[in-house]
Amino acid sequence: MASIQLNNIVKRFGSFVGVENMSLDIADEEFLVLLGPSGCGKTTTMRMIAGLEHPTGGQIVIGGEVVNEIDARDRDVAMVFQGYALYPNMSIYDNIRFPLRMRKVPADQHDRLIRRAAEMVELGAFLDRKPGALSGGQRQRAALARAVVREPQVFLMDEPLSNLDAKLRASMRVQIKHMQRQLKVTTVYVTHDQIEAMTLADRIVIMNRGIIQQVGTPDEIYSDPANTFVAGFIGSPPMNLLAGEARDGIFRSEGIEVPCPRTVTGSVTLGIRPEDCTVGGGHLQGMVYGVEPTGDITYLTVQTGKRAVEIKAARDFRAPIDTPISIGFDLSRLYFFSENGERIRRPA
Amino acid sequence: MRMSLRACMWAPARLCRSKPMASSAHSIKAVAPATARPSTGTLRRRSPRMRSAFPYLLVAPAVLYLLAITLYPGIFAIYQSLFVVRFVKWTWAGLDNYERILQDAEFWAALWNTIIVGGLSLGLQTVIALALAYFAYRDPLIRGWRIIYLMPMLFMPSAVAFMWKLAFNDGRVISDLLMTIGLTHGNVDWLASVWLARLTLIVADVWQWTPFLFIIFVAALQGQDQEIEEAARLDGASWPAIFWNISLPMMRPVIVVAVTLRGIDITTMFTNVYIMTQGSPGGATETMSFFIYRQGFRMFNFGYASAASVLMLAMTILIAQTLVKRAFRSGRS
Repeated sequence: MASIQLNNIVKRFGSFVGVENMSLDIADEEFLVLLGPSGCGKTTTMRMIAGLEHPTGGQIVIGGEVVNEIDARDRDVAMVFQGYALYPNMSIYDNIRFPLRMRKVPADQHDRLIRRAAEMVELGAFLDRKPGALSGGQRQRAALARAVVREPQVFLMDEPLSNLDAKLRASMRVQIKHMQRQLKVTTVYVTHDQIEAMTLADRIVIMNRGIIQQVGTPDEIYSDPANTFVAGFIGSPPMNLLAGEARDGIFRSEGIEVPCPRTVTGSVTLGIRPEDCTVGGGHLQGMVYGVEPTGDITYLTVQTGKRAVEIKAARDFRAPIDTPISIGFDLSRLYFFSENGERIRRPA
Repeated sequence: MRMSLRACMWAPARLCRSKPMASSAHSIKAVAPATARPSTGTLRRRSPRMRSAFPYLLVAPAVLYLLAITLYPGIFAIYQSLFVVRFVKWTWAGLDNYERILQDAEFWAALWNTIIVGGLSLGLQTVIALALAYFAYRDPLIRGWRIIYLMPMLFMPSAVAFMWKLAFNDGRVISDLLMTIGLTHGNVDWLASVWLARLTLIVADVWQWTPFLFIIFVAALQGQDQEIEEAARLDGASWPAIFWNISLPMMRPVIVVAVTLRGIDITTMFTNVYIMTQGSPGGATETMSFFIYRQGFRMFNFGYASAASVLMLAMTILIAQTLVKRAFRSGRS
């Protein structure tokens, strides 16, 4: 068990910047999720912690020790790969045993450790099969068992669920979270799926173009986004971002008129989450563009000018398209962003 | 209002699109008969039988050529092996040739030599190629310059044989080198000792053909899943441990196929024997190919030579077939 510190980490691939001047403290036993679109540097960051990539600059500290010059195999870090990376020539038993053999764990303990790890992921019945004879979910669990068997200081997981179907993903998510709480191992988890990030993380790090956008608990990320990137990335559907003009305590845009703090002036962007909108109320005038019932909730898309605004309406809400509609906003849940995308916070 | 506007926007587009479509369809109709008629005319003149035979006629030259240089000589050899042939005089002998061969000490000696020289040479080049591939495959230079390592393979076999003959026997280059570093005193007569003579053949073959295996092994190693290598690194495996526990077992089918191909080639080793040793000393380096050549073209026992060829072919097929089959069966399970 160990904490991890990244101090001003830089990674460049030629002229391409993978990670730019990143600093991050990961607490002992924490479940940290790196979230961002593809190419944002989240996997590169994880691979640098693992020792599979060498940082161009900065320092990586694991458990109080600078590990920049320590080889991947000596870092006591376990990783679960997107493609599982099981050894196809070995049975599942031998796959799980491999890290024990390589780390010179006494042979008389192997069997007990392997069976315990296999039980933890409910794989006991498949130990003598080869990876080729297992389903995707079973392979994923085998990869997890191989990672936990030697009780490493740090777990790294690189999109471990992205090759599974939606149903399996949900159940594996719970298993992974349960296992992490049980083992109390510091975990860094990379994903581009915000649901995974929100459900698993103690803290989420949102990255874009190699730069950290925001670090916070899932609640903070969701209800207190630092900029338009975070606001537009989190939530499904994500926050509505509407550009307009603010003057004298009123924000105006095509079809929209809402009060705003007097400190907000000039060209700004209004952010409002779909669930903070209600049908009827008069802050937004538009036309019904589409109604999508999903059972427990109905997604309503309203067109105003050239923009579409997403609203979560009541489950029984129905309306024909191209009829005029009025939408109200929860005024305590309005977010304003300046022209460069940064959040305008109320003076405390 | 909105609905009607949408309708207006769609209307011209639909008109626009329908027009060229109609005209193009029309033009196809107009052009088609003019170009198609003569060709259908000639096709119709062919009989149905001709039409079904046409594809076979197209590949016939290639097939005939291949049959002529492989199957015909093969069958001819089998046929000839049943006769005692003295130039144009063929006397029916049945299986006499085979019976005599199986009692011929020279045949068994040649078989033994082939196995010894070929086996040692094959084993040596496989190990060297694997070792080189292991050290080299992560090097980016190898990727770009593979062709350089193929150079010895590109030389004419007889030229290589003459080169080694010069180095070992005629030019005494190797002896000189050995004397310089103090390993021997005086000149080494490579053809005076059974094992030294065999060694010269092995060295020549290893030098020329290790690159072939090396290239194949490097390609197999570079083609393996990078994630698996990384997973093994994080599991605490050293590079040698990864190679031994993971890469090597995964390469097994490739290794078996490459070694089988090389093995088939080695069993027919002739050029080096003919140029470098002529089978001396005392037939210790006479391989099967050289034995067959000697029986056929020096002693003119064509039936006898054919029978030996047939035996050798049968053995090669049998060994290669079982090896490859076994490698792939265990690789699958």
